[in-house]
Amino acid sequence: MIHTRQVDQPLPLLDHHPGLVWLSPTVSMVGFGEALRVAAGYGEDRFLRADEAFRDWCPEVRDEVNLSGTGAVAFSSFTFDARSAGSVLVVPEILFGRTGDTWFVTTVDGADPSPYCHPAGTAEADTDRPRYAGASVPDVLWLEAVARAIERIGRSDLDKVVLARDFAVWSKRPFDSRLLLERLHSRFPGCFTFLVDGLVGASPELLLRKSAEHVESVALAGSARRSFDPEEDRMIGENLLRSDKDRREHDMAADSVGRVLEDICDRVIREAEPTLLELPNVRHLATRFLARAGADTSIFEMVARLHPTAAVGGWPTGAAIEAIRELELMDRGRYAGPVGWHDAAGDGEFAIALRCAELSGARARLFAGAGIVRGSLPEAELEETRLKLQAMLSALEP
Amino acid sequence: MTDLDPWDSALLSALDAPDSGSLETIDELAESSGISQPLLEVLAREGLLIPQIDEPSPLFDPSDAEAVKAGLELVSDGLPLAELLDLARKMDEAMRPVAEQAVDVFARFVRDSVEASAATGEEAAARLVEAFRSMLPATSRLVAHHFRSLLVASARERITDR
Repeated sequence: MIHTRQVDQPLPLLDHHPGLVWLSPTVSMVGFGEALRVAAGYGEDRFLRADEAFRDWCPEVRDEVNLSGTGAVAFSSFTFDARSAGSVLVVPEILFGRTGDTWFVTTVDGADPSPYCHPAGTAEADTDRPRYAGASVPDVLWLEAVARAIERIGRSDLDKVVLARDFAVWSKRPFDSRLLLERLHSRFPGCFTFLVDGLVGASPELLLRKSAEHVESVALAGSARRSFDPEEDRMIGENLLRSDKDRREHDMAADSVGRVLEDICDRVIREAEPTLLELPNVRHLATRFLARAGADTSIFEMVARLHPTAAVGGWPTGAAIEAIRELELMDRGRYAGPVGWHDAAGDGEFAIALRCAELSGARARLFAGAGIVRGSLPEAELEETRLKLQAMLSALEP
Repeated sequence: MTDLDPWDSALLSALDAPDSGSLETIDELAESSGISQPLLEVLAREGLLIPQIDEPSPLFDPSDAEAVKAGLELVSDGLPLAELLDLARKMDEAMRPVAEQAVDVFARFVRDSVEASAATGEEAAARLVEAFRSMLPATSRLVAHHFRSLLVASARERITDR
């Protein structure tokens, strides 16, 4: 039996080190314990396999709140590449959530939430600084891979490929996920802050939000730095909006989302022109989509169709995936894959797992990627990924 | 570039030390040094590998590859290339005004003085080239020594602060 009830008091979300976290502008949820864990395996059907396992498991539900995110809720995180292992779906035994001003608790099979209901105090965890432990691919080789990708774009039908690299760090004491989540959420309040099975991050990119028949997606591609000088900052933003290279890269990402939504949804509305999504350290070109979901289309079917968008894979998709497999020389794991939650009613939110790290005790693997198009320069892409990695690294500092 | 004074022409010749016959295109440099062409192209765009001749196509002094190899030794010892490039950009940014000021100081206090005191243009040219040839390696040693001292002091401070 799954039971959701409303509570009068705000609940401490991160105090007790939840294993599952989703903090978004619309809903906040954290989960403790595991009532169900599904290893979704390999293949393009890993999304549907996870969904089926969740539906097959779903016990009787007593939902006294009836909002998005109440009743049976699963958190999931999928690998970028269908050939990679690690896709997972987890249903917590206890879930604390908030939608607007409504706080709620969901429990599975009478699990006791009381140990997690009170603030745990603000004692600082005993942490150590992150220390460099190498990379899967030396960045000299990554730079050369970017040069080969640019050459391939010039002589084939490949228009864009996103190449990622990683950065391993270690620490003398285990990394504190609570501290990291609090920092990410406070530095990037407009992003989707998540923790699912050790994958922790703050993504600016909404892959899909579904609430009843309402569907929303935001394509992000084309980026520029921020400046502390307001005038220079404004100019950088204007230049980004006018940049042919960034606009071409952005349009590929937005078109890839638009095509899928047109195919699986009704009444797709696409913003006519991209706008600027501004984060404290970077700004992106963004195009928002609104659509109405088909009656029989599940959120996982939509996620499976949308992934990978050109923003994180490239375009055309098949050629881009082949190029990534050949040139990237590492397994991205769940980086740039869909991460999010959904409920038994089919509502949910999925972001693309960017600006993230795989935490494992005192070790962490950080990721960053860059979109390569005609006109890209390897050194600029290397620098872009360096700055993205630094932002995540600074969140791990004590 | 017309109507140069004889001493400036002589200085210019001293500056253009390598024989253009020994210069290499970037693909020849990649071949002779074993450093990948994409990496050399990156370093050239970043201004860290400066061609001796720009037109009609860039030609490089093979000895520049030795400096690149020294950089790659840092990379093979564990320094990420992205961090090394960032350091190099900062070094370049910090050193350019110093180099310009050093040239200005040379012009005001050596060149002008020699020009005023030399009996003939030929004598001025000879004295200037001699001064340049002695001052360039001395300056290089001075800068390298100072930076080495700064590195050691900074490392010592970092270690004792812990």
